[in-house]
Amino acid sequence: MGFFDDKQDWLEIVFRNYPPENRRAAVMPLLRKVQQEEGYVSEEHIREIAELVGTTPTQVRGVMSFYSYYQAVPTGKYHLQVCATLSCKLAGAEELWDTLRAELGIGPGEVTPDGLFSIQKVECLGACHVGPVVQVNDEPYVECVTKERLKALLEGLRAGKRLEEIELPGSCGHHVREEEA
Amino acid sequence: MVKLRINDREIEVPEGTSVLDAVFHAGYDIPYFCSERHLSPIGACRMCLVKVGTPRKGPDGEWIKDEDGRPKIFWFPKLMAACTTRVSEGMVVDTLADEVKKAQAGMVEFTLENHPLDCPTCDKGGACELQDRAYEYGLFEKYYTETQNGLKKVLYSRFEFTKRHADKHHKLSEFIVLDRERCIHCKRCVRYFEEIPGEEVLDFIERGVHTLIGSEEWPLPAGFSGNITDICPVGALLDLTARFRARNWEFEKTPTFDLTDAAMSAIWVDSRSGKVERIRAREHPEVNEIWISDAARFGHGWTKEGRLSRPLLRKDGALVEVSFEEAAAFLSERLSGVRPEAVGLYLAADGAMEEGYTFAEAAKGLGTAHFGFENATRFPVSALPAASFADLLASEFALVVGDPAEEMPVLYLRLQEFLKGITPAPRYFHGTPIADLRLEERMPRRPERLATFAAYPTRLFAFAGVRGVYAPGSVAALFEALLAAMNGKRLPEVPGVSEEAIREAARRFLEAEARTIVVGAEVLDDPEAAQALSEIARAKGAHVIAMPPAANARGLELTGLFPEKGAGFGEPGAEVVFYYGATPPAEALRGARLKVFALPALDALAKAEADLVLPAKTYYEKRGLVLNAEGRLLELRPAPTAPASAMDGIEALAFVLEAFGKRVPARSVLEARTRLHERLKVPLELPEEGTLFRPRVRLGARRGGEGGGSLYLRPTMWRARMLKDERVRRALGEPRLYVHPETARAEGLSEGMRVEVATPYGQTPAVVALDERIAPGFFQLPAFGRGTGRRVAHRILVPSGGAA
Repeated sequence: MGFFDDKQDWLEIVFRNYPPENRRAAVMPLLRKVQQEEGYVSEEHIREIAELVGTTPTQVRGVMSFYSYYQAVPTGKYHLQVCATLSCKLAGAEELWDTLRAELGIGPGEVTPDGLFSIQKVECLGACHVGPVVQVNDEPYVECVTKERLKALLEGLRAGKRLEEIELPGSCGHHVREEEA
Repeated sequence: MVKLRINDREIEVPEGTSVLDAVFHAGYDIPYFCSERHLSPIGACRMCLVKVGTPRKGPDGEWIKDEDGRPKIFWFPKLMAACTTRVSEGMVVDTLADEVKKAQAGMVEFTLENHPLDCPTCDKGGACELQDRAYEYGLFEKYYTETQNGLKKVLYSRFEFTKRHADKHHKLSEFIVLDRERCIHCKRCVRYFEEIPGEEVLDFIERGVHTLIGSEEWPLPAGFSGNITDICPVGALLDLTARFRARNWEFEKTPTFDLTDAAMSAIWVDSRSGKVERIRAREHPEVNEIWISDAARFGHGWTKEGRLSRPLLRKDGALVEVSFEEAAAFLSERLSGVRPEAVGLYLAADGAMEEGYTFAEAAKGLGTAHFGFENATRFPVSALPAASFADLLASEFALVVGDPAEEMPVLYLRLQEFLKGITPAPRYFHGTPIADLRLEERMPRRPERLATFAAYPTRLFAFAGVRGVYAPGSVAALFEALLAAMNGKRLPEVPGVSEEAIREAARRFLEAEARTIVVGAEVLDDPEAAQALSEIARAKGAHVIAMPPAANARGLELTGLFPEKGAGFGEPGAEVVFYYGATPPAEALRGARLKVFALPALDALAKAEADLVLPAKTYYEKRGLVLNAEGRLLELRPAPTAPASAMDGIEALAFVLEAFGKRVPARSVLEARTRLHERLKVPLELPEEGTLFRPRVRLGARRGGEGGGSLYLRPTMWRARMLKDERVRRALGEPRLYVHPETARAEGLSEGMRVEVATPYGQTPAVVALDERIAPGFFQLPAFGRGTGRRVAHRILVPSGGAA
């Protein structure tokens, strides 16, 4: 059974947004749907999407692999994306990455045995002023991630809390400035 | 026309020209990697950066002047990519400025940064655009500095950096290998697949420095894939049939034409030590542009397999090598007392016109009615006025009956251009535009311009507004129905095709102002269909492009080698037969007492039947004139790969006739051409690109020979002889026997079943493939150039045990 077989209504709404002769434009929302619900986009998903939007699997793979958001291998419930570009690196992203790996006991492309976590280094997330930055799934960034804040984050997620419910110790750059102002 | 200045030269170019082409038109050079003729310019490689400025008009509509009263040039704030910048009136381009040189050198460095330094083992070495450009525009002297005692000292070298590492031997198909380290991401191959054959099977995977070329397909669809090895500016995409065979400068490069199909693409034959090692496309703007089919490119392996260099004579049941003297003595003995009118003289489909002339004259001299050439159709193709591919591009509507992708692959590519509405580009001083700004990525194909009918769904079906699958053998009904629909009459029934499809095709045909009809072997082999087609073309006005199954059909028919009665190439009747260059179906040898062949190498039939086999040349090795499907006269040039004693058709025929004690009409290509010149006004000297040559021919259709069996032979671009090469066999897989599910049920066949099919051309293994889109009651098997488009008798043998 295909992933989209029971989502015909949703497909119809998506396809309505694009000209019928250019249905291939819908490749992104379809990929996003799969990524959100399945945690990764498999070979079969790629073929199914190609079929649906009327292009070749190669084209879908090309689009998909361009964005680090789309995963080709299964991810955990919480996919932690560590920004590893210059500003975050200077602010300690490498050390953060090492801590994260030690803490979870996994490397990139792997999932913790409980199925909760997977990790990935990503390019600049665009929040250089509050580095190092970690993004959990699609949620807003976790900023100024020190070892303590990271531990609190992992504990909160393990406890099943939603991201905004988790209290992180200490403060972060622009919050401080905002309070001053 | 637009006037502009390139450095110091004032030039005039058509509107819409790119700066890149303007620069080359002016005689200057700039480096580029991503642009390629016939592909859309995208400005990806940034190699062609130049300084560009334009005059500007003030609010008063007048040119803004400088102090000297001349239009003031406003330079663009940054260097511009010449390939994607359009020329404008009064533009000034500077390709020699220091900043341009600096940018070019910098870009070469960027490109080389991750390019491996394995040129010594790279097949592209010596013919590599990156090598040339690095040499011309790179930073060589910057690596060195003068030291005090006049010796140069290396400052830094490219060896100091760790380069990106990636897959170096990534096979994309049996024919093509990709080296991902060498790739410089010019995107030519990606664009090629989308823009030229219209199949998006290659793309960039990943992003930034990780970018690589990849495909989800294995293997790449065969058909037109080989062209990417030509256009790759580096050694990333290489032809596996020629891998490590020679360095580029060791090849003997012969410019000639491909005789696999009747389009006759221009090719380079690269040979070394007397062997054909590689075929590359050669530019011919009117015929094949810069593309050739995979069959033409990768199918050359047969020229190396088991070449004969001496005559083979049957002694005690086995063929043994003998001297030419012994062969001649044998022939004289066996031919003495033979009635001349019982001799049959037959020539291969790729015979040259000089050979055709000699054969036809010899037959006339002998007074025999048995002669002809391989794959001659029952309706002579020369009875249809020829049209050029340019006529197709100038049309508004095309009606295609047949399968151009297989019957004349290059025409399929021109049809893609036609669907996109691309007309031939203007010619510049340097030839074809390198960055033709009319071309874009993903140009929409316009299905309303095309109606196509065939005996099975062809590649073209995906692009056609009107399409239909008819039952094999109903092309005559199809054309009669089309004619009736155009004349507003009642339509005869066409098995498999709906009335609406025919009416719609007829309506669109009549609405268009300029039309072209493309027909394949099946139509040419059905005189009624061909008559109805001629009628439509004459009465309604349309160009006709016919795709004869014999490459040089037009040329050979012109020389008179088209028999109106008597036994043709594949028909029994002659008592003594001489076949040059190809063997007929076994059936044709029935009743022949003496069978003489001249072949490049033995095949199964010759091995079993021949009394004498003479060594022959392949068409790569011959000199001679050929006439392509457009009626374009082209000249073959010989590559130095024939065994010393291999004979062309004229020599081999003279050998036989002398032993027979008969007059030899011509002894050399030159002599035969002189006769052709006297008789048909064939030019003695031809320009490189050939010339249109379309004399009127009066030839009647041949009677008889309609097969009427239920095995339909599908056109293929591949030829039976190419299957001698194991790589080709691997790439093509086992032949498929296509059957409608109903017929399969009735016959007890199921999907994937392995069977043996006995055809007039021999027995072949095949795998059953069910296809409900084809007509029930028929079986369809790839023809591999033998009996293309015909219906023949067959038997299907199901192995009793094992997988079946």
